[in-house]
Amino acid sequence: MVNLELRRDRIVARWRDKKTEWVIEPRYWRNPTIGISLLVILPIFVYSYPHILTMFTTANLYAAIAIPLALQMLGTGRVNFGPQLYLGIGGYTAALLNLHFGWSPAMTLAATIAVCAVIALLLSPTTLIAKGLYFSLITLILPLTFLDVTYIWGDIFRGEVGLVGMSPLLTFDKVSWNYIAYYYLSLFLMLMYLLFCDRTVRSRIGISMAAVNENENVARMMGVRVDIYKVFFYVAPSILTGIVGWFIVHTFRTFAGVTYLPLDFMTKILIIVIVGGRAFLYGAIPGAYLISILEDSLRGLGPVNYFVFPLILIALIVFLPRGEGLWGLYKKRRPRDYFPKLHVRRE
Amino acid sequence: MSNILLQIIIYTVIWGSIYLLISLGFSLICGVLRIFHLGYGVVFVLAAYVTWFFMENMHLGLIPSIGLMILVQCAFALLVFYKGVFQRYLEEEEVLLTISILVFLAVAHLANYLYPVTAGVSIPSTIIDNVLSIGGVTIDYQMIIAAGVGILVTAIYVLWFMKTRIGLIIRAISQNLPAALLMGANVNRMYYLAMILSVIPPTICMIVIAPFWGVDPFMGMSLLMTAMLISILGGLGNLKGSIVASYLIGFIHASVSFIFVSRFMGLAALIVTLVVMIYRRGGIFAGETLW
Repeated sequence: MVNLELRRDRIVARWRDKKTEWVIEPRYWRNPTIGISLLVILPIFVYSYPHILTMFTTANLYAAIAIPLALQMLGTGRVNFGPQLYLGIGGYTAALLNLHFGWSPAMTLAATIAVCAVIALLLSPTTLIAKGLYFSLITLILPLTFLDVTYIWGDIFRGEVGLVGMSPLLTFDKVSWNYIAYYYLSLFLMLMYLLFCDRTVRSRIGISMAAVNENENVARMMGVRVDIYKVFFYVAPSILTGIVGWFIVHTFRTFAGVTYLPLDFMTKILIIVIVGGRAFLYGAIPGAYLISILEDSLRGLGPVNYFVFPLILIALIVFLPRGEGLWGLYKKRRPRDYFPKLHVRRE
Repeated sequence: MSNILLQIIIYTVIWGSIYLLISLGFSLICGVLRIFHLGYGVVFVLAAYVTWFFMENMHLGLIPSIGLMILVQCAFALLVFYKGVFQRYLEEEEVLLTISILVFLAVAHLANYLYPVTAGVSIPSTIIDNVLSIGGVTIDYQMIIAAGVGILVTAIYVLWFMKTRIGLIIRAISQNLPAALLMGANVNRMYYLAMILSVIPPTICMIVIAPFWGVDPFMGMSLLMTAMLISILGGLGNLKGSIVASYLIGFIHASVSFIFVSRFMGLAALIVTLVVMIYRRGGIFAGETLW
C-alpha cells in the first residue's frame, strides 16, 4: 500500500521501505531537463504546421543571439546595443563566399568564424576605451553604419533586397522534414550556446567575470587580468553571434541587411535579454519564444502590427517584475543581479 | 578648385547650422537630465505629421497647425517621455533607453500606417522659393534661412543659459546635481523646463527644412543618428562641444560630398568620431557640463 504524506513544501510517497519525494514548488524541479525535453518533443505536436516550426526555429535563433549577448554583458560590464553587427558580418561572409566562390557551408563556417574573430579583435579595444554609455552608443552606431555600407555597395551586398539562393545545410525529399531538421539544428545550436555560456559563468572564469562586472578597479587589484577578460568576452560572443548569421544564410537561404541590421531587430534582441530577465542566460529562451510567438501572432493584424508590436513590448517591460522579467515570475527569491550599469549620470 | 573650396565653406556653414538645430535639444537633455534620449527622433516625426494632420484633417492653416503641433509636442515630451519613462526608469538606464527606442518605433510606425510615403505628406513652409548664386555656387534660399534660424536659436539658447537666473540654475544642475539640490534648486521643475526647451529647436528645424529635406515616417532615425554623433563627438551634454561638432560634421559631409562621393559622408563622419573618441575619450569638450 502506497502512503502519501503532504508536507509543507513536498509530497512524500512511501511504499514498504522505499521513499520518494516530490517538491511542490516548481523552482526546485529539474527545470532545465524538463524545458529541454519539452523543446525536443515540440515538433511532434506541430510537425504538420511548417509556419509554426519556422516560428520556433526563429525563436531558437533569437535565443542563440541573446544568450551570447547576455554573456558579453556580464563579462565586459558593458551593454552592447549592436549585437546584430556580427550577425550581419557572419551572414554576409557566408552568403558572399557561397554565392560568388561556391564555398560549401563547412568552409563558409570556418570563414565566418575567422572574419568575425578578426573584426571583433579589431573592435575589442572599444571595451577598454569606451565606458558605460559611450560603449553602448558606439555599438549602437556600428551596425547602422554597416547597414549604410550594404546600401552604398548595393551591387555586392544587396542590402535592401537581400542575397538569395545560398546552398542549404540539409536537403530532404519531403519538405516538411526540412522544417523539422532545421528546428532541431537551431535547437542544438542554441543549447550548445547555453551549455557553453552556463559552464563559463559557473567556472572559475565566471567568478573573475563577475568581479570585473562588479568593479573593474577592485578586480584588477585582486589580480584579475581585466583587459584580457574583456577582450575575450567581447570576441567569443561575437563569434557565436556570427555563427547564427551563417546558420540563417544556409537555413533560410536569404539574407538582407535591411532585415537584420536596423534598430527594430536590435530592440527585439535587447527586449529578449531584458524580458527574459536582464542577462540571465536561461531567461533568454522563454524571452525569445515569447517575442517570436508574439511577433508571429500579430502579423494577422496586418500593417497595424508594426505599431502594436512595440507597444506590447513596452507593456512587457513595464508590467513584468522590475529587472527580472519572466525569470522573476519563475524565481521568487531575488538573485544576484550582474547586469552592468550604464552611467551617464555621475555617481 | 577654388569653386569646390567655396562650395565646401558655404555648405559647411549651412549644414553645420542645420545640424546644430537638430542636435541642440538632444545635447540639452543629455547635459541637464544626464540621460541619452534615444526617443528624440519622435520630435521630428511629430513635428511633420501632427502639423500635416491639423492641416489635412482639421483644415487649419499652417500657422495654427504649427501652434497646436507645438502643444502636442510639449505634452508628449512631458507626459510620455518624462513622466512615463524618464522618471520611472532614471536609475535603470538600459530599460530607459530600450523603452525610449520602442516609443520612437511605435510613433514612426503609426505615422507610416496613417500616412504612408504615398500619402505625399509635405509642409508648405517655404519662405523664399528661389536660389542664390555666390561665385558659381547655387544655394536654396530656404537652406540659408534654415541655417540663419539655426544660428539664431542657438544664440538665444546660449544667451538665455548664460544671462538669466533660470539658465544659471539649469547650468548648476548640469554641473553638480547634489550641490544644486542643497542650494534649493527645484530640480523637478527645471527638468520639465529642459524637456520643453529640448523640443523647440528640432521642431523649428523640421518646419524650416521640410521643403528641401523631405518628409517620411522614418526620417527621425537618420536625424537621431546625426544628433547622437554630434553629441558624442562634442562631449555628452556640452553645448560648446555640440556647436564645434556640428560644424565639424558639416565640414566632413561637405568635403566628402564635393571632393569624393556624397554616399560616403555618413561613413566618414562616423570614422572621424571613432578616431576622436579613441584619442579623446569624452569627446572634444569632455567637461560633463552644459557650458
